[in-house]
Amino acid sequence: MASARAALLFALLAAWEFLPRSGLMNPELLPPLSEVLTTLWKLLQRSNVHAAIGVTMAEVAVAFLIAIPLGTLLGVLIAEKPYLADIFKPLLFYVFSIPKSVFLPMFILVFGINFAQKVAYAAFTTTFVVIMSAAACVESVKTEYIEVARSCGASRTQLILRVYVPSMLPMLLETIRISMIFNFTAVMIAEMYASRTGIGHLIANWGENFQMPQLFAGIVLLSVIAIFFNESVRWLEERCSNWRT
Amino acid sequence: MQQLANLDGDSRVQAKAIEVSRLSHVYAGIHGEVLALEDISLQVESGKFTVIVGPSGCGKTSLLMMMAGLRSQSSGELLCHGAPMPQPDPNRVGVVFQEASLFPWLTAAQNVEFPLSLRADPKAARRQRALQMLSLVGLDGFADRYPHELSGGMKQRVSIARGLVQDPQVLLMDEPFAALDEQTRMTMGHELLRIWATTSKTVVFITHSLTEAVYLADEVLVMSARPGRIIDRIAIDLPRPRTYEMMASDKFGGLRERIWQQIRSQH
Repeated sequence: MASARAALLFALLAAWEFLPRSGLMNPELLPPLSEVLTTLWKLLQRSNVHAAIGVTMAEVAVAFLIAIPLGTLLGVLIAEKPYLADIFKPLLFYVFSIPKSVFLPMFILVFGINFAQKVAYAAFTTTFVVIMSAAACVESVKTEYIEVARSCGASRTQLILRVYVPSMLPMLLETIRISMIFNFTAVMIAEMYASRTGIGHLIANWGENFQMPQLFAGIVLLSVIAIFFNESVRWLEERCSNWRT
Repeated sequence: MQQLANLDGDSRVQAKAIEVSRLSHVYAGIHGEVLALEDISLQVESGKFTVIVGPSGCGKTSLLMMMAGLRSQSSGELLCHGAPMPQPDPNRVGVVFQEASLFPWLTAAQNVEFPLSLRADPKAARRQRALQMLSLVGLDGFADRYPHELSGGMKQRVSIARGLVQDPQVLLMDEPFAALDEQTRMTMGHELLRIWATTSKTVVFITHSLTEAVYLADEVLVMSARPGRIIDRIAIDLPRPRTYEMMASDKFGGLRERIWQQIRSQH
């Protein structure tokens, strides 16, 4: 299994290297892997690339730190207060179904092309995902567990800390993971659409200028960051859910 | 017979563990108010094994949850050892729920310890008490298993241990063996009687199985379809300890038949 996985990865990387070299694929469109990696190494020495990485990471982090608590709060309210759920749920579902990128021009009109606009747009997009997931998390806690804890004399705080949190933990981490994918995507779209800096802005520029080695280097860089975050949370998820069947 | 069986306790008046008088319960349904329980009066003597049977939806689980202090009734009085139960009190009443009520993120011992951990008892004492309880229910050596590693019968043993861990006078059991296969169910019933005999708790037990009811009970209370009322009380004067052979006796069959007739008259 593991060796088959490694073989697949190796085959893909090898194809990336040798298809353009042999001329089976146009090296102008797909530069060989080695050339992309060399370009990436050179780019990583440049200060404007450092700045772009810093800006993008800051946007991703701030938007995430807004969306997670806000979405969780709203999601828990919806799950716990049937009255609020009746009022807000249909509307939330409608807005959730709209591709959020159609609102991007509005964010530019309100905020301009800056840091705040990227953060606002990404937080807006991500909050909806978090609301939906957080509500599902709360609803996933079995009523039996709550009755058991109450019959054992649990206070409200104990109920939250000793039943809700451990019961939801694996799903909560999954929420964080999925939300980050949406969040990162939103920042990238905003940067590629209109921006003066950021990795998304660089990638869009390289694409427009037909600088393929740089474009692919940017994609590799971004992929590594995204995969690293995703896998870290997945690792946590597995550690926290060893009790799951 | 009944008098002879209680020789050691007959000098004093039997204490009432649970007294319910004129209890009714109404809840708001989709089509207006629903009368779920109507004018229930019953008494459970201390140390007795009482079984409640009745058709689905008759409100027997609601009644049990009220005894546990988990829900409140619309009117009437419910006393546990002379005092009302406005909220759950694990020192007076332990509850064993239907299957799958164990916390899957805790081991067997941690599940049993759970009620004690809420009171911040010392860790070592807690653990020792949990192991003692697991031993009582026949689960020596399973302390560190997670629920998904245990069979259905073992899980219910853990639930019983958790219900008993704070040494309450009353143990309420809501169809605890309903999800088990017939064979395991009979074994668990027998085990429960053994545990009951060693702990001398008052037990109120809900079941759908009439055989289980007759096999376990001192007294069977039969409830009607909604609105739930108590329509019959049947004293089960079979000798103790109960044996599997008794099930084949005419007396056992007669008692079972009487309960069945009462329940059938409800349809």
